[in-house]
Amino acid sequence: MKIKVCVGSNCTLLGSMSILDQIEDLKDIIKDDPDNYSDEELDVEAIKCLDICKNTDKNVAPIVVIDDEVILNATGQIVMEKIINKIRK
Amino acid sequence: MKESYVDLINIRRQVFAKVAKMAYEGDDLSELEKASFEILPGEVATYRDSIFRERAIVDERLRLTLGLNARKPTEYNRITDGASIVDVNETRFIEPLINVITFACEACPTKAFIVTDNCRKCLAHPCTNVCPVNAVSIGKNRAIIDQDKCIKCGRCRDTCPYSAIVQYDRPCAAACGVNAIDSDYLGRAQINMDKCVSCGNCIVQCPYGAISDKSQIYQLIKALKGNDQIYAIIAPSFLGQFGPLASPVQIFEGIKQLGFEDVAEVSLGADITTMREAHEFLEKVPNEIPYMGTSCCNSWTIMVEKMFPDQYEYISDSASPMVETAKYIKKKNPNAKIAFIGPCISKKLEALRDDVKDYVHFVITFEELMGMFVAKGIELSEIEVSKEIQDASSLGRGYAIAGGVAEAVKRTALKIDPSREINVEGVSTLHECVKLMRTAKAGKKNGMLLEGMACSGGCIAGPGTLASLNRVRKAVVNFQGQAECESPLDNKTIDEDIRNKYK
Repeated sequence: MKIKVCVGSNCTLLGSMSILDQIEDLKDIIKDDPDNYSDEELDVEAIKCLDICKNTDKNVAPIVVIDDEVILNATGQIVMEKIINKIRK
Repeated sequence: MKESYVDLINIRRQVFAKVAKMAYEGDDLSELEKASFEILPGEVATYRDSIFRERAIVDERLRLTLGLNARKPTEYNRITDGASIVDVNETRFIEPLINVITFACEACPTKAFIVTDNCRKCLAHPCTNVCPVNAVSIGKNRAIIDQDKCIKCGRCRDTCPYSAIVQYDRPCAAACGVNAIDSDYLGRAQINMDKCVSCGNCIVQCPYGAISDKSQIYQLIKALKGNDQIYAIIAPSFLGQFGPLASPVQIFEGIKQLGFEDVAEVSLGADITTMREAHEFLEKVPNEIPYMGTSCCNSWTIMVEKMFPDQYEYISDSASPMVETAKYIKKKNPNAKIAFIGPCISKKLEALRDDVKDYVHFVITFEELMGMFVAKGIELSEIEVSKEIQDASSLGRGYAIAGGVAEAVKRTALKIDPSREINVEGVSTLHECVKLMRTAKAGKKNGMLLEGMACSGGCIAGPGTLASLNRVRKAVVNFQGQAECESPLDNKTIDEDIRNKYK
């Protein structure tokens, strides 16, 4: 699974580093419970600004992309739930 | 910063970015009337009981970020009242630094032991049997603690087999190491300024975001837009704060794009402080003073001054790394105005001291700086620059992490005089600092070098940070490894005659 977390200025201001930390922690939960979770690797990448926030007046940061799904106003709990649901056996 | 307080962090930082944007764009301050509608659009409350209250609290945050006091709910004031006082290009400090936004405070009950639903009214009921003041009885549904009798020893909690008794404390008071949080007549938190040392831990811990310091970003940006030559000096804990893709040199370059002349590492001043403190220790301990405390954490030194005035002379009188770095720049450019950027709120007070105010003109936090980057639309990771930063030794860069100051001083002192034996002890929370000073006062730390830090883990855990402690610690250690020299005595950036003086 490819997870991209934007760490541009807007997203960093509004907590994208914390989302990165939470995804890292998630790896431990997954690793500790091989009965319930597949061993698919979480490929986490911090990426530069996608310019989505700069082309709108709305507040959209932080932005996370899981495989091809773009999540606006991402929070740790939404991102973690999506990852867990995808990786659950 | 407490990363899990996501909504609070976002509100606070959106306010910083908004005020920074207003300053850069030269908006009239009457625009403040609308600002809370831009930050919180719509009519549905997200965080509190109503959108009106949410916006009212944002309004007070806007005022505090401008450097004004929060308004009293009992008095009629416009949001812009007093704005002309702070609409200037220099620091205008209005006391106090740390403020309770009274109507954001939910008046949490004070410390108590409480019986929860876990209680099964068990036959053994050890809670009643261990209570030294007979305050616990078994009620109809569960054990009952008579709060008037309770002396808060915690024995009932410790003995309960169902973990049914919990200790409850208001987070602000629990975070305060100097007991500075009282209550007003409505039970809301109130800060006793005679005790407060402005460490900022209550700001970080309050789950309602009811406590805030004041900022200087508005005045700083106005100054940056003028003709003054303003230099930024950035604290050793800056590594990793602005996102994993922003390299140290990109951060420096981004700061310059905000309007600063140049940027220097405060670790450079840390190197000078290290040499002075090492020299001072070798010279004074144990003949002139029984032990020596480090001087760089401002909340620690204020705490000693307030709570242990007879011990205050045992704190090193070397200037802090912030001041030494500022002096270094002032020497090169006497017209320089200097802005310290760090994780720390207490530095905002240190900069006002008579012996410091001519060197340090502004103090802002990393969080506030990030608001400025956003306001200016600067993407640090996209800046193209290839240079190395080599202002400081690796020991100087280690000041950011708890234990780093004493380590640098000890190793430097041993380099100057290898025959000495130097024992150090370091603590990093205000509670621990107070305990350490109690034992030092009792004569149990004689001959030692004591390092006190108000934030748990050191400056990397300061209230004005953006990145988690682990993230920053890794980045700091990595940056230490990139330093050309290990010891301050070998730091070629510092004039040779200064270094020779201490060798």
